[in-house]
Amino acid sequence: MTVSTEDAVAPTPSRPRRPLNQAVVLGAGFGILILISVISVFLVNRAREDAAQVAQTLLLENTISNLQAFLLRGETSQRGFLLTGDSRYLADFDTTMADLDRTIQQVQSSTVGASERRRALADRLAVLLQTKQDELRHTISLRRSGDTMGALAVVRTDRGEELSREIGSIINQMHVGEQNQLGERISASRSSNLWLMLVNLAGAVAIVGIAALALRITRRNTEDLRTAHHNVEEANLVLEQRVAERTADLQEANNEIQSFAYIVSHDLRSPLVNIMGFTSELEALRTDLFDRIATLRAQAGDTNGAADIALDKDFEEAFGFIKKSITKMDRLINAILDLSRQGRKEFAPTSVSMTEMVETIAATMAHQLMERNARLTVHPIPAIVSDRMALEQIFTNLIDNAVKYLRPDVQGLIEVSARETPGYVTYLVRDNGRGIDPNDRVRVFELFRRSGPQDRPGEGIGLAHVRALVRRLGGGITLESELGLGTVFKVTLPRRLVVEGNGGKHA
Amino acid sequence: MPEHVTIIMIEDDPGHARLIEKNIRRAGVLNEIVPFGDGNSALAYLFGPDGTGAINAGKALLVLLDLNLPDTSGVNILRRIKENEHLKRSPVVVLTTTDDKVEIQRCYDLGANVYVTKPVNYENFSNAVRQLGLFFSVIQVPEAS
Repeated sequence: MTVSTEDAVAPTPSRPRRPLNQAVVLGAGFGILILISVISVFLVNRAREDAAQVAQTLLLENTISNLQAFLLRGETSQRGFLLTGDSRYLADFDTTMADLDRTIQQVQSSTVGASERRRALADRLAVLLQTKQDELRHTISLRRSGDTMGALAVVRTDRGEELSREIGSIINQMHVGEQNQLGERISASRSSNLWLMLVNLAGAVAIVGIAALALRITRRNTEDLRTAHHNVEEANLVLEQRVAERTADLQEANNEIQSFAYIVSHDLRSPLVNIMGFTSELEALRTDLFDRIATLRAQAGDTNGAADIALDKDFEEAFGFIKKSITKMDRLINAILDLSRQGRKEFAPTSVSMTEMVETIAATMAHQLMERNARLTVHPIPAIVSDRMALEQIFTNLIDNAVKYLRPDVQGLIEVSARETPGYVTYLVRDNGRGIDPNDRVRVFELFRRSGPQDRPGEGIGLAHVRALVRRLGGGITLESELGLGTVFKVTLPRRLVVEGNGGKHA
Repeated sequence: MPEHVTIIMIEDDPGHARLIEKNIRRAGVLNEIVPFGDGNSALAYLFGPDGTGAINAGKALLVLLDLNLPDTSGVNILRRIKENEHLKRSPVVVLTTTDDKVEIQRCYDLGANVYVTKPVNYENFSNAVRQLGLFFSVIQVPEAS
């Protein structure tokens, strides 16, 4: 079964607007946060100013109250002194007056930035207080000089009383003004606080909103990621499935080739048996024929057998060619049959000690080696898990080849070693034999192909067989050669042969 | 083998058929040999027009069977012979090129009496057939009931 390429998984359409969305949301979020922070800082500052002004107002009111108290205390001292003439009453008078002066200065300074009216009031108050103070000091100095009557007369003018009333009225006005100011400032502070709260609330709502949006985007992203992941997994699955299908296809094709080879070799054998059989029959007939000719000739009195002998020779030659060809064809068919049998044989992976195995092979070839005056060295080589029979055939063939094609004029040296890579081992079979022509380095692995002078027995099957086996074992074989100097065959095999379900059985 | 035993030879290759016959004769077997080049004509002969095999009741038959036939498989013929009331006791000698273990087992499971692989080499082939002929000359064949 084949899978058409249309089945390929379509890539999920990408959504390019998403990154933009995310950036916008994030930007908006940060923007709102910054705005809220700025507004908050501004409002907090305003609230602080409001609070400071409220505090100032309260302080001013306190100061004004103090003013009244100091004035009262000054008046009390003056009256006491005027009535009694006892200077004890004047003990606090000067300090009180100093306090009064300081306090009025405070009031004036605190109204520097205030409204015109308030400043006017404060200035007026200062003037009045100064006048009042002068009046008090005047009476006191009169009394002290003994002019009690003069002092009392000043008091009686009610001038001091009027001053005090006016002062009280101004202080009252200032009180009212400050009360109004206080009210205004408190309400301003309240509104600042309210705004702060509102802005913070709005900020909180905005943040929650953005968080929700971000959450949604994140969730959508996660969802997309999951979908993508799922798609990738599905694609993988399809891919795996397709690989499995292709593998099955290849397996099937391979099996078909194997069974084809088997059928061909079988069906070629049948006519061959006939050819062989009837050639034998013909040979038998020939004997009968010549016997009969001899008999007939004897009966006819012909004694010249020379023509018969010539005929017999021609027969002999023809039969010779036929039989040789038959034998050759028989061998070739057998070779194909063998190969196809090998191809269908199931592998049984076991741990194979390669050093031991190659040494055993070397031992069985001791006779040939001695005959050709050759030496075979087996280096310690790593063991692998593979099919023992197949490995034996591979290395027997390679070593046999190495021995077979040694040069007669040089002492033969054959060497088996190995190179390790992760997962694979490359076994090297090196000889110093006659080498392989560069043109033949691919051909030698083909069936019925041989390289160099055809002076050694063989059908050109060995290497084809070896390559087929190595491939079936999941490996590969290459060669390096120097014509006239030697050849290295490199067999790379997996450390562990994995046998798949094999449908290689055939009738 | 008694003379009244008939040898049914089912072999699609006429050359093989002739060689087999020659070599059996060389072994001194003179019984009648009825050759068939395909499976269906052999089945028609064995089972008769009614397909019951009653036509051969009372006759002693020995079947020499090739498995690779053009029209029907030799295994099928073997199964039908061994399932038939009248023919099942007739010895069936499978003579074929296949040496597949599974195929050999299957034939014996179905009741084949002898399985011989045709040697590829003619010497061996003629030798095997001649020995088979010698074997035929000594075995007993029951009559179909």
